[in-house]
Amino acid sequence: MFKKLSLFSKLSVLWVGLMFFFAIAGRLLPIADPTEFFEVQGAGLFSPGHILGTDMNGYDLFANIVVGSRYSLLIAIFSVGFGSLIGGILGIAAGYLRGKTDYVLSVLFNIFLSIPNLILSLVLIAVLATSSDPNEPASETRRIIVIIISLTIVIIPILGRITRGATLAWTSSEFVVAAKSMGMKDMMIIRRHIVPNVLPSIYAVAFLAVGIVIVVEGSLSLLGIGVGNGTSWGSMLARAQGDLEYAPIALFVPLTFLGLTVIACNQVGDALRQRLDSRESKL
Amino acid sequence: MAFIATGPFDFFCSWLFVSICYRLFGGSKLRKLNQTLQAFTKLVLVLLGATFLLSLIVRLLPGSPADFYTNALDEEGRLAQIKDLGLDRNVISGYLHWLFDFVRGDFGPFFMSGGGTRPTSLIISQAVPRSLLIMLYVQVVSLLISIPLGLITAYRADKATDRVISTALFTGSAIPGFALALALGYYLGVRLQMFPTIGYVPMSEGLGEHFKHLVLPVISLSVPLCASYSRILRTEIISTLRQDFVTMAVSKGISNSRVLVKHVLRPSSTALITTASLNMGGLIGGTVIIDQIFALGGMGQQITFAVFARQYIALQSYIALIAVAFILFTVLADALIGVVDPRTKNRNV
Repeated sequence: MFKKLSLFSKLSVLWVGLMFFFAIAGRLLPIADPTEFFEVQGAGLFSPGHILGTDMNGYDLFANIVVGSRYSLLIAIFSVGFGSLIGGILGIAAGYLRGKTDYVLSVLFNIFLSIPNLILSLVLIAVLATSSDPNEPASETRRIIVIIISLTIVIIPILGRITRGATLAWTSSEFVVAAKSMGMKDMMIIRRHIVPNVLPSIYAVAFLAVGIVIVVEGSLSLLGIGVGNGTSWGSMLARAQGDLEYAPIALFVPLTFLGLTVIACNQVGDALRQRLDSRESKL
Repeated sequence: MAFIATGPFDFFCSWLFVSICYRLFGGSKLRKLNQTLQAFTKLVLVLLGATFLLSLIVRLLPGSPADFYTNALDEEGRLAQIKDLGLDRNVISGYLHWLFDFVRGDFGPFFMSGGGTRPTSLIISQAVPRSLLIMLYVQVVSLLISIPLGLITAYRADKATDRVISTALFTGSAIPGFALALALGYYLGVRLQMFPTIGYVPMSEGLGEHFKHLVLPVISLSVPLCASYSRILRTEIISTLRQDFVTMAVSKGISNSRVLVKHVLRPSSTALITTASLNMGGLIGGTVIIDQIFALGGMGQQITFAVFARQYIALQSYIALIAVAFILFTVLADALIGVVDPRTKNRNV
């Protein structure tokens, strides 16, 4: 299966794999301490001891990238995971049951989709992550959980709409009509016939959604309400933005990693969708 | 109750009238009108839902707006101020007040930090023209770039030219807008000092400065759009090229480039028009981060500010305006598609 992919897709799969490896095994790797101040500030690429250089505070950029991949990917995977699960269930319900359920769910999806996703997550995070006592900022764990919850809410309608469309198409296919006419129970039809056919399109869109979530996380950090203090790629950007004139490298390293990961996720999603299309055209 | 007579009530009456007509006569034209109205009802529902949802969430923010926007020293004066500003209304009554004001064209108060208000329409009248202008530039630039690219990639489909351009476009579509904005801002703005990286200059204060300030934001917003537009155009053109009338035109001896531009482009552009119109709404308010990076003072920046400053009434107006613009552009695009491709008029949609 891997051999059939194009070169670009192979590279993308490898890149996503590498980032996952960083996220899981990050602190076990022989890297510098991400919170240690080194004496060289604003060192360039491939300088001795710092393969990607250092920023204006003297933080080692490679170590920060490796450790930052953990929160960036953690947020992306959990929010897309929960979002696909809930959005998928709601989408299948809307597409299979039709009628009033479909109308209500579609209007709800449209309501959430009509608010730009960055603004929706901004409002949600502002509500959930602000502690009532202004002197005591919300803890880091709570912030991450809140970001995951808000991004899940943003992802649900996107996945819901896609799943609904796919379910509508499969519900009207002959084998589902046949199963219905033979008296198969609805739950059984959904489990045996709808879900296996709808899942591939959910996977394809979920990879695209991972890209979206990584970007939104970066944007939130730039607006100042993301994960704090350089522990994710987005917050590395936010930290480097002020020192742009002195250490542009501190901005471009996380930007490159973020951009490449988004491109790779999109490519994997696209390759999955193409496989799906070819499978459907063979039918 | 005078305000009800021009607004939702009228709309309801006309809907009732049409439904009754439909029940009585049934004609196909009336059916189409009824379908349009049903779609419209759905849009209005979405609009009301989105604004109500946002007002609900913003009201959940810790600390009530009453604490932020009153400055009277004694309790009595404070209560009077709260009543004056309308901050004592509960969610539903506050929402209904905003709704009836909005329908009449009043965008509600924008609370000042020292107590007192100024009309939100002042802010809107400053921010909306900017956002509209930027959106217009972005659309024009991306269409000008993506139409030739779409034509080339479709004409040379699956050849080396197509592969290279398509891969480049795909990469372009995946680059986050803010990454591009920050990178361009550094190289062209800070390093080479070619373009200013901050602020907005209105057209009246010099055309050159105006465009100079907008080059970077427009590029950062256009690149992802170019990519998606040319991909859509490519697929559409490839399917149009298989049509009989194209074979006919080619066999009559018309040159390839003429066939592409005169015969193929027009019927292939319907999907492009739809996508472009869908992007309009998003571009007005969804450019939050680019607005913020380049300090353009458009709708995106105002929305962010309204969230942090708990301006829930202004926020409702902003979102509602964007949604209304979104609906208007969709209707406009439908009309445009009818002109560009008359075949769609006979379709029973």
